[in-house]
Amino acid sequence: MAEKTVGKPIKRTEDPRLIQGLAHYVDDIRLPDTLHAAFLRSIYAHARIKSIDTTAAQKLPGVVAVYTGKDTQKIGPVPCAAALPDLKVPDHRPLAGNKVYFVGHPVAVVVAETKSAARDAVDLIEVDYEELPVALDEEKAADAKSPVIHEQFGTNVAYKLTAGEGDIEAALKSADKVVKQRILHKRLAPIAMEPRGVLARYFPGEQELTLWTSTQIPHLCRTQVAIMIGMPENKLRLITPEVGGGFGSKLNVYAEEALMGWISMQLNRPVKWIEGRRENMQATIHGRGQTGYIEIGFKNDGTLTGLRYNVFADMGSYFQLLTPAIPTLTGLMLSGCYKIPAIQINVTGVFTNKMSTDAYRGAGRPEATYVVERALDLVALELKRDPVEVRRKNFPQPNEFPFKTATGLFYDSGNYQGALDKALKMADYTKLREEQKTARKEGRIMGIGVSTYVEICALGPSSAMPAGGWESATVRVEPTGKVTVLTGASPHGQGEETSFAQIAADELGVGVNDVTVIHGDTAIVQYGIGTFGSRGLAVGGVAVYMAIQKLKDKAHKIAAHVLQCEKATFVDGKFCADGKGKGEVSAPSMPVAEAPAGALPKPNESGKTLTMMDIALEAHVAKNLPADMEPGLSATAFYEPKNFTFPFGTHIAVVDIDPETGEIHFQRYVAVDDCGKQINPMLVAGQVHGGIVQSIGQAMFEEVVYDETGQLVTGTLMDYAVPKAVMIPHLELDSTETPSPVNPLGAKGVGEAGTIGATPAIVAAIVDALAPYGVRHIDMPIKPEVVWQLIKNGPKKTSAGAA
Amino acid sequence: MKIEGTQKIAAPRDRIFAALIDPAILQKCIPGCEQMEKTGDNQYKAKLTAGVGPVKGAFTATVSLQEIIAPEHYKLVVEGKGQPGFVKGSGELNLKDAGSETEIQYTGDVNVGGLIASVGQRMIQATANMLAARFFKSLEAETATNSPASSTGT
Amino acid sequence: MIPASFDYIAAKSLDEAISLLAKHKDDAKVLAGGHSLLPAMKLRLMQPKVLIDLGRIRDLSYIKEDGGLIRIGAMTTHFQVEISDLLRRSCPLLPETASHLGDMQVRNKGTIGGSLAHSDPAADWPASILALDAELVATSAKGDRVIKATDFFVEMLTTSLQPGEILREIRIPSGKSKPAQAYVKVRHPASGFAVVGVAVNLSIDGGKCQSAAIGITGVSPKAYRASKVESALKGNALDAKTLSAACAHAAAAVDVNSDLYASAEYRKQLATVYTRRAIEIAAGRAK
Ligand SMILES: Cc1cc2nc3c(=O)[nH]c(=O)nc-3n(C[C@H](O)[C@H](O)[C@H](O)COP(=O)(O)OP(=O)(O)OC[C@H]3O[C@@H](n4cnc5c(N)ncnc54)[C@H](O)[C@@H]3O)c2cc1C
Repeated sequence: MAEKTVGKPIKRTEDPRLIQGLAHYVDDIRLPDTLHAAFLRSIYAHARIKSIDTTAAQKLPGVVAVYTGKDTQKIGPVPCAAALPDLKVPDHRPLAGNKVYFVGHPVAVVVAETKSAARDAVDLIEVDYEELPVALDEEKAADAKSPVIHEQFGTNVAYKLTAGEGDIEAALKSADKVVKQRILHKRLAPIAMEPRGVLARYFPGEQELTLWTSTQIPHLCRTQVAIMIGMPENKLRLITPEVGGGFGSKLNVYAEEALMGWISMQLNRPVKWIEGRRENMQATIHGRGQTGYIEIGFKNDGTLTGLRYNVFADMGSYFQLLTPAIPTLTGLMLSGCYKIPAIQINVTGVFTNKMSTDAYRGAGRPEATYVVERALDLVALELKRDPVEVRRKNFPQPNEFPFKTATGLFYDSGNYQGALDKALKMADYTKLREEQKTARKEGRIMGIGVSTYVEICALGPSSAMPAGGWESATVRVEPTGKVTVLTGASPHGQGEETSFAQIAADELGVGVNDVTVIHGDTAIVQYGIGTFGSRGLAVGGVAVYMAIQKLKDKAHKIAAHVLQCEKATFVDGKFCADGKGKGEVSAPSMPVAEAPAGALPKPNESGKTLTMMDIALEAHVAKNLPADMEPGLSATAFYEPKNFTFPFGTHIAVVDIDPETGEIHFQRYVAVDDCGKQINPMLVAGQVHGGIVQSIGQAMFEEVVYDETGQLVTGTLMDYAVPKAVMIPHLELDSTETPSPVNPLGAKGVGEAGTIGATPAIVAAIVDALAPYGVRHIDMPIKPEVVWQLIKNGPKKTSAGAA
Repeated sequence: MKIEGTQKIAAPRDRIFAALIDPAILQKCIPGCEQMEKTGDNQYKAKLTAGVGPVKGAFTATVSLQEIIAPEHYKLVVEGKGQPGFVKGSGELNLKDAGSETEIQYTGDVNVGGLIASVGQRMIQATANMLAARFFKSLEAETATNSPASSTGT
Repeated sequence: MIPASFDYIAAKSLDEAISLLAKHKDDAKVLAGGHSLLPAMKLRLMQPKVLIDLGRIRDLSYIKEDGGLIRIGAMTTHFQVEISDLLRRSCPLLPETASHLGDMQVRNKGTIGGSLAHSDPAADWPASILALDAELVATSAKGDRVIKATDFFVEMLTTSLQPGEILREIRIPSGKSKPAQAYVKVRHPASGFAVVGVAVNLSIDGGKCQSAAIGITGVSPKAYRASKVESALKGNALDAKTLSAACAHAAAAVDVNSDLYASAEYRKQLATVYTRRAIEIAAGRAK
């Protein structure tokens, strides 16, 4: 019997191939006769296309075809799955029509025998543009005086939405005080290490299209691409080989995916497009992008009475798959981990001359947590109370779960005090505050920031999701006892090949290495949803668990039959008789002699127990099965979660600031996260690490900048600052484990926790450090120059969102 | 992006102003300008090779002279397009006598788009300043009292 | 990210490289480590028709000391400079500068000659080369030409190397006493290049600064000597007052860069502060 692995930090089985460079990404797949595609993209943020001349490009040796918007009319619009009342949905075609709406907007695609020829030809396409005035800032673009992007709507306002429960006006009136703050969530670029890439191959005889694409959602993408290019869904096979990160940016269906499919059908040859980093900055979705106004009411004792958030959400010029839905997640999570009787969000979704925003790790929840946590800090500041105290005051007690929020959610389980206490102890908070006092006396600038967060994971019940929120799994025990798991939750770096194998191995009494997890091929794997919204384990993993239970049920019946007893039990990887009946293997059960050497399991020692391997063989040889039982040992489950799950935790950042330069140095970083039951603590730590790093990026470095004419000036990684290892402090991590009652694994999800919990802690630490200078808030990313200005001039004379 | 500054040139204001609206001299002053062809009143079509060091691109441009108030004010507008993207610059020049010299105050607005905008961020401001400096250096060479060009009266 | 097409020629000797360069003229670029040239080509900011690779020429990569001079071959990689015992002993400023440059991969491929010839306004080497009063040896069909560091950097991305010239060697006068040197740098969070980089080379005797050479990069379109700071230090004890008065001139008389990350005003502040810190570190090392 293999050792149990659930709960143990075993190494990822996917790592050896990744580390050795042996894994296959889209670009590693080489097919004979492949053509290469390159895009001409708009260099204007808003312009009318007067004419396009592709003659010279067409004539370049090696060029096979050049397509523009006119040639690709038959391809349907890039889909948006979000449905909101009165939503204005622009007709988003794969290539620009009469107008371009953002820098990077694809205008034409060249297909050639070589990458070089395709790229050379792009420079030969002549486009005559008539520049139009731009609408860039989400708040200004909502104004009636702004230039309008989609003329047919007569406005840039895509939708308005109000949500929340409780009488907000009364709640704010009943407060002793109300504090207000304008805050910005700047646009971020997800920057997956592997940019997007698509390879399409069409077999005209079979009328089969195969699409290799770097996506988080193979099945949804197949369905949507099939609709876009008008082909039967079951003639389209979509394969996601290794995916080098997504962070939400590949939770999408892109123009390029449909175009490559369509082009290979026109030319009857494979065609490949691999995104460059500049294209990735310009034409892969961005995240965040909100300008908001917070109002929070509270009593003098710190009790919160109500929270209102009025927000302008930057959509970009088009919708991608979930663009308008992201701010709704912000609305859902505005209660944070606090009792707030009345909450209201008023969203204005606004078109701008920029790339679409959409889900980026956290997707709407980092915004919510940032809003609530900044608000709580402002309350503490106003009351001159310790921010920890104000938080604790408003926590629900552990016995108050399921806890209902004024945003309409039921938090499954929680012990916010537990995580907070643990983190405070790790950081030695009281001592830190004393050190801070001493530091201030000595003229040093030190700050401590605490964030207590809750997030929403395991997305989600289908009723609350745009395109189904369940997940599927098939588990099969092969005749040799090897276990195959097919999951619809196609991972892209999370390590699900390991964690799902751990679940299967423990449940079936085999070793982790006996389990193979297959994903990301629509011809092999039953329909599934994908990996995003921290749902891999808590929905996809649960589906695996459910399928295993069905399979085990059958295995038990076979075991009882073979052991000639009424019921068999499965303990420590062995089936044995429960005492009633003969309790011995009915021989001969299998034609062992006929099997090739080593292919069959050894008969067990006494004939009184059976392993899963024995059962699998019985099931496949099918000579000794109960009457009416189907052969085979495989089961499929489609798991529909009844609720979301709500992981939580406390993050504490301690910073020192260089008084002469404003440079920020981390002194400590402590985090205690609770994601329910942990299948593999190492994977949990890895997710938390990555999330915190991206949070540090958002808090201190990252910002997609379009200049006043709409040019994307952070166009490469020379200007867009992704954090490097040297910029990251040592992360002191621990966890608490409050199981979720929502699913049998008790797991909640941890994929996004870091990006949600960490950002407010870092900003709070910097703001806290600068409190003696009268600083209450600073907008992200907090660059040293802003800090220096604040130290020098105070908040009044410093712009850059400081207050 | 803004550029601004003042420049003193040891030449009379009239001569400098005359040079500033003379296409032949302008062509020598606009950095990298290889050819200028009249297309209308104070309107020209030009070919430029502009850039810094080895990083250069070919542009076709329109040059127009506006708001001409001799000899004190005028506006130079250059719009170029080429493989590395586009450049739009407009500069207002105000000329004042400063003893025997002339002081030129300039304020300009430069917008770039395409490749140069997306990859050249950290060098664009400095490049713009540098090109402005080159413009005035050439102008000085063309007009300064002791320069050979000035005596030819072009 | 696909360059325009070009021919590639691996020169077997310096002479061959020189004649190839003479033949192909403006169409050609020499290729050293490729860590500035290739990125620019991939972006199509540069589209040379011919690349003349210096990588196979063995005798362009060396670090040696003779006749009172340290000689460094142009093709010496950043990493070779970083780990050179000779330099650590007699000119620690260079290994220290190298250690701040890029990352391990960049240091393994990029060359000191390539960096100097490229003359990026935020590159690290120019600061140190200026502070060391180095000489740069350019060679062409006409023979060698020796250029003083202060004459080498002309403007952004432009040096005084003439068409047809190849940078062959960097020469540094080897110091006598214990070197009081330091390189400090504020890294740009995205590119890792210098927002401000300050190289200091002092000689201190009897508690007084006998000479000071300070090279600053990142601040201006080209690296420069902070001569006003130098003269304010010379002959003085390096006390706090002297230092702060002197370093206020760190960005005097230059056009100060401004970009998304740091305005001119802030860069000036960084230059002031980091010049002082570099001097303090260097002075500390002299003790
Ligand atoms: C990711 C990354 C990070 C970096 N970070 C830094 C940093 O922090 N600090 C820093 O200073 N630099 C940095 N660099 C630049 C790096 O140092 C380059 O290696 C260096 O600037 C150029 O040297 P090279 O040998 O690679 O030259 P190449 O790229 O091969 O050549 C550069 C230019 O110089 C010319 N050239 C090369 N050698 C000669 C010669 N002997 N004679 C005449 N002309 C010649 C070439 O024709 C070309 O125009 C970074 C580069 C990268 C890719």
